[in-house]
Amino acid sequence: MSTAAVELTDVKFSWPAQRPTLDIPHWQVEQAGTMLLRGASGSGKSTLLSLLAGVNTPQQGKIELLGTDLARLSARNRDKFRADHIGYIFQQFNLLPYLSALDNVLLGVQFSKQRRQRLRDPAEKTANDYLTRLGLSQRQQHQPAAELSVGQQQRVAAARALIGAPELLIADEPTSALDADRRDRFINLLLELSNANGTTVIFVTHDASLAKQFQFCTELSDINRVTSSLAEADDA
Amino acid sequence: MLKLATKSLLNRKVSVLLTVVAIAVSVALLLAVERVKEQVQENFANTVSGTDLIVGPRGSQTQLLLASVFHIGSMTNTMSWASFEDIASRREISWAVPISLGDSVQGLPVVATTDGYFKHYKYANQQALELNQGRWFEANEQAVLGAEAAQQLQKNVGDSLTIAHGSGGLSFSEHDQHPIAVVGVLERTGTPVDQAVYVSLETIETVHGIEQQHSDEHHHEHHHPAESISAALLGLKVKPLALRLQREFNTYDAEPLTALMPGLTLQQLWKTLNVFEQTLNGMSALVVLIGLIGMLTILLASLRERRREMAVLRAVGAGPVTLFTLLVTEAVLVTLAATLAGLGLLYALQWSLQGVIHTQTGILFSLNFPTAAEWWRMGLVVVAGFLLSLIPAWRAYRQSLSDGLTVKV
Repeated sequence: MSTAAVELTDVKFSWPAQRPTLDIPHWQVEQAGTMLLRGASGSGKSTLLSLLAGVNTPQQGKIELLGTDLARLSARNRDKFRADHIGYIFQQFNLLPYLSALDNVLLGVQFSKQRRQRLRDPAEKTANDYLTRLGLSQRQQHQPAAELSVGQQQRVAAARALIGAPELLIADEPTSALDADRRDRFINLLLELSNANGTTVIFVTHDASLAKQFQFCTELSDINRVTSSLAEADDA
Repeated sequence: MLKLATKSLLNRKVSVLLTVVAIAVSVALLLAVERVKEQVQENFANTVSGTDLIVGPRGSQTQLLLASVFHIGSMTNTMSWASFEDIASRREISWAVPISLGDSVQGLPVVATTDGYFKHYKYANQQALELNQGRWFEANEQAVLGAEAAQQLQKNVGDSLTIAHGSGGLSFSEHDQHPIAVVGVLERTGTPVDQAVYVSLETIETVHGIEQQHSDEHHHEHHHPAESISAALLGLKVKPLALRLQREFNTYDAEPLTALMPGLTLQQLWKTLNVFEQTLNGMSALVVLIGLIGMLTILLASLRERRREMAVLRAVGAGPVTLFTLLVTEAVLVTLAATLAGLGLLYALQWSLQGVIHTQTGILFSLNFPTAAEWWRMGLVVVAGFLLSLIPAWRAYRQSLSDGLTVKV
């Protein structure tokens, strides 16, 4: 068993009928480490995240998450693995607009028994605690998600990704819609909460100025042999 | 899952509600066709019981049955009193009741008959007629009213009425010279009996006699209550003889007659009407299909807007199968709600139109629990909704596989 939370070996991936997007000989993230993965837009960041989340599988190579080889899991078990071990935050539109903020957070444990079992308190109370710590009032927590501001929505998404203490948190440019001040506070909160859970964080961004808040920083162009200009054409 | 589907549907209230209404109306229509058919048949079957044969002048059996018992349509021919007496005196006949039709009171049919009608006419489960007030007519120029007729004419025992020639609501020749006294009102039966006015054969003869004296050559020489009658209801001593007697009366020598067994003729009538029933069924099934396709359209159109929603669900660990199930659940919820609403609508319509239908046609639509055939139809609608939902569900499944977590909109 390696000590790495994430380890990629010789991973090659291309979208159907397109030129290769990723060719990563080796990359790893330490357990409980916080990693900033920087890449220009169109460098294959989102593709790499889909592979890490087990939604897509590479044509070649091995992706090990928490010691589990994703390629060995069936599609169904990869879904289950994701539900159990990975919290995911999108760039935007993270929430189901018709559920309340609270119900959106509870979605995080709805598909995973394991994450439900990890909760010390009832799920509702935990969700309520998280949202309160992230600065949402009781009233806002019961509002439909569609009525919240973008910043509030991202905080709800963070709570959903962290509830039930998954081992790995993947964030795909979650701060791109926030101003600098709110962005820094969001990242601090996120790191603070994941640190408390011992969660490994992979935070993707195009903004190198955030690097100081993270323990590690990787340039995607340093680990990806496919040159950015080529990938750019493929990755929207 | 159920909660998620419900909330997602509630989020699209307006379009979902419209779909539910469209399907509900079509389901109500589908059920109404079945219900009307069943209850009309039951009502008709309930109207005559205990009468083994009906004999009348030569003509179509259906026409004779409808005119003599249901007061639908009219009879152009008559049979002679002599033939009636001959038939009534046969050994096999237990009782014979003559009826003469063709007159009306404010559009309600007048049935001229004898007191045998009151004694022998049976409806539903061999139930006899009963008087609610007064007595059966005993003399000339007395009338007994059916329950509905009494209500519609607003007449009661002691009032008088005038008979008009012809069955229309407005008659040209009202026999004003002969006010008829109401002597009794029948108990409600829920059959066409309720709608008629009953008088003796002699009453009708007198009413007509006056008229015909003006026109000439009509003499009351014989002691017949009537010269001719419209039909005769017969009861047999031995029921199985009905078929043989029917054949005999159909080939009656003295004059051309038609005889029928009520139950059998009704069945033949339903068989004839089966084509129309099937057509109505087919059409209402198509209407249901249109409603369901409306739902399909809404689900498919919403898929495009819901790609991000699907990606979010994928991110929290929902598999493509879960998304498939979600869409199927939504569609089944919509069809279930719509079907129940359709059933409710049917009851509401039935409840509100019951009175009108009863006074107009004499058919009483009872608000009973859905029959097996109706449950079947509702079940089929839900199954059809389920099958159609597989299309958008399959699309969502494919979409979620190709989109993954990155929605390329």
